[in-house]
Amino acid sequence: MGVDIRGLNVAIGGRPVVRDVNLSVGDGERVGLIGSSGSGKSMIAKSLLGLLPRGAEASGSAALGGTEAIGAAERTLADLRGRYVGVVFQNPGATLNPVATVMRQVELPLRLHYDLGRDERRDRVMSMLRKVGLDESVAGKYPHELSGGQQQRVGIATALITSPRLIVADEPTTALDSIIQRQIVDLLVSLVDDAGASMLFITHDFSVLARATTRCYVIDDGAVAEEGRTARLLAAPNADATRGLVASARRLTLSAEPMAAEPMTVEQGGAR
Amino acid sequence: MANPSKLANLPRALWRRGSGRYALVVLGLWLAVAAVSLFWTPQPLLATDGYHVWEAPSAAHPLGTDGTGADVLSWLMAGSRTNLVIAALTVVCSGALGLLLVGCMVSRRAGLGSVTVAVVDALISIPTVLIALLLTVPFGASVGVIVGACSIAYGLNLARIARPAAMLAARGDYVASALAGGASGWYAFTRHVVPNIVPVLSVQLTVSAGTSVLAEAGLTYLGVGVGAGVPSWGHSLATSVKFINVFPLTVLWPGLVVTLAVVALNLLGDALNSALAVGGMERREDDGR
Amino acid sequence: MRFLAHRLLLFAAALFGVSVLVFVALRILPGDVAAVMAGTAATPDRIAALRVQFGLDRPLVVQYFDWVGGLLRGDLGTSALTGRAVIAQVGQRAAITFPLIVMSLAVALLIGLPLGCASVLARGRRMRGFLHVLAIVGGAVPALWSGLLLILLFSRGIGLIGLFPSQGFPSEGWHDFGRALASLVLPAVATGVVAGASITRYTRAAVGDVADGGAVDMAMACGMTRTQAVLRVGLRLATPQLVSVAGLTFAQMITGVMVVESLFALPGLGALLIGDVGNRDLIAVQSELFLLAAFFLALGLAIDLIHRALDPRLKATNANGDE
Repeated sequence: MGVDIRGLNVAIGGRPVVRDVNLSVGDGERVGLIGSSGSGKSMIAKSLLGLLPRGAEASGSAALGGTEAIGAAERTLADLRGRYVGVVFQNPGATLNPVATVMRQVELPLRLHYDLGRDERRDRVMSMLRKVGLDESVAGKYPHELSGGQQQRVGIATALITSPRLIVADEPTTALDSIIQRQIVDLLVSLVDDAGASMLFITHDFSVLARATTRCYVIDDGAVAEEGRTARLLAAPNADATRGLVASARRLTLSAEPMAAEPMTVEQGGAR
Repeated sequence: MANPSKLANLPRALWRRGSGRYALVVLGLWLAVAAVSLFWTPQPLLATDGYHVWEAPSAAHPLGTDGTGADVLSWLMAGSRTNLVIAALTVVCSGALGLLLVGCMVSRRAGLGSVTVAVVDALISIPTVLIALLLTVPFGASVGVIVGACSIAYGLNLARIARPAAMLAARGDYVASALAGGASGWYAFTRHVVPNIVPVLSVQLTVSAGTSVLAEAGLTYLGVGVGAGVPSWGHSLATSVKFINVFPLTVLWPGLVVTLAVVALNLLGDALNSALAVGGMERREDDGR
Repeated sequence: MRFLAHRLLLFAAALFGVSVLVFVALRILPGDVAAVMAGTAATPDRIAALRVQFGLDRPLVVQYFDWVGGLLRGDLGTSALTGRAVIAQVGQRAAITFPLIVMSLAVALLIGLPLGCASVLARGRRMRGFLHVLAIVGGAVPALWSGLLLILLFSRGIGLIGLFPSQGFPSEGWHDFGRALASLVLPAVATGVVAGASITRYTRAAVGDVADGGAVDMAMACGMTRTQAVLRVGLRLATPQLVSVAGLTFAQMITGVMVVESLFALPGLGALLIGDVGNRDLIAVQSELFLLAAFFLALGLAIDLIHRALDPRLKATNANGDE
């Protein structure tokens, strides 16, 4: 399922945080939104999903498949979320329901959108847990009993349990350390590609973006500063904002791991 | 949190909020009436007029008279003094008890800390009225019993509410380095722990002042509050209640005064809460996540 | 398990502490207990008789353990005034007061939970402001006043006469179930409305806190509307905190319950206690106060345990763990 955003503006309490953004994601495409924190990139995704905070006003157009999200009824968007659109959040420790077991958490979209028997739901959850590389025994555990990486795998399982056509991943690896980051990104990419779904991937880190996406938009101060293929932007950034982000990605990767900018690995499906 | 410039701007910050403005006006009125009543009331308190009981409001008696012919307005004015004293003493005593308990909780002597936490947890659910009844028997119904009962109950509550913030501060780097630098535990407590719990303390104490007004009304009606013949809002309310069947409207005034005062204190608590937490609010609006 | 053992031990220690406090306040501080009980107009013979009757001439330590031993056997002593066993009096009165407390709490929750959730969910600034002011004003009304208002509304003047009784309790007690229940309705509403206003504020704060958190966003991302997510996930997440708050509100409500008991002429525990304090029936007051305090300590214990059972994150931590 594609995304088509035209002339999107978002203001919080009268202060514009997103200005005249045009953006599209094709069927089966993995597209990145990159920008420093506070640049408004999350608000773009949130207005698409109908998850804007109270007091935020959106205008323009943001179409999800054929459905216009701006000004849509709450129920319309709720029916899309969890069914055709899966969301992976930044901090699984804070977003997974702390009083629900992994089983209850992952099966929630199934319960909300499909009329399945208990055993059927259970089977689907178990096979989904295996797909994200978790042991079936975690199904009975609570989030606080899992590691950060395991928690994010649960988050991914929840987002993908209904085989959605679009995945929106909002800084899914920011809370994790760098080795786990790579594992999670690779997992997400392979699952999305296997399902033939599209993905909108939001991050502030170019090294993560290079593994996850083929094309990206650089967001600066609420507006699109630059767009193009991720590999090209990383190799030859034009806008100031892009240069800053690329430079900080290099600094980070140089000190942490010998990845440097090897955008080609992305095309090979994230193999090392 | 409690830096001096913010404290200096506090009155202005409160005045800017509608609720804070209402609260400050009502509290100012309360203080003024209490002060005036020291020197002047429309009628002397003890002046009763057997020929004019349960009178409707008139020029001589703006709010009418009660069952003994005493002037309702005069008694309410004088009562504002008693309630002011009760509220102020409750704030001071429960604040002191709360700070003492918090100090014990964050004490470096592990035994003292966990015992205090346990005592507070165990006693927190004892109602104010039971404490008041217990104190009434040996000491007799008086302002002191109300203040004592409220201070104990609210002090325990305060300690429980302030504990997380105090623990966080006590385990922070500032305290560790102050202690390493040879500072005493007392110094570390007053300089680093207390400032961190001032916001929650001031909000909670403001609300407690309001609750003490309600407690006074209830306890006095039950006969374990202020002694007989002492003017208070609860006293005015209780005397008018006895004749509710005959003269329902006289109960309006003391009830109204109590409600207005308690609303003012609650709103002041709200306004303090948002004024002292302004930094946090601004950060929340940001699209950081 | 360790937590349970720790908390039970604490409960026992608190019971002991309260028994000592009650004993000191009622039997030592007043001075000559027999003289106090006999009143100002008593003859020396009467005082001496009381002293012998209640064993007040024995050493205080013996008297204390005698009393506590009686409590442990279920013997609360006899009233100096009526000569009846205190436990019988307490039982009879509690049959009015406890249903009244439970009904008041039910009214408070029925008002507070929906209004609290509504003010979290309300879209308009005006609506939120209105609900906020409503909760603050409601919580500032003395129970005495709300009770009077109900009496005026329902039993005279405005044409709603006789809908609910506003004075007394049927002499047959709960055998006349309908009338007994009806006579508790107005008192329960009088205290419940006021307590409901504070529960509204607590609910708004607790649910509002989690509604801004990630778990509610997550539930929405799975396909819930905001209303569904707040009611199904937010409310559940706020429940442990709300249980604690409901317990505290409950304890604060007791002054109001005693006031309305008196206002509506219900012969409940409050009336008994106030009467016995007034009559200086110290033997009875001592056992009654201890029993009530024990009840509230047990309530605190129950709330702590429920709070813990509702939050899986707390189960794993140590009894002394500081969150």
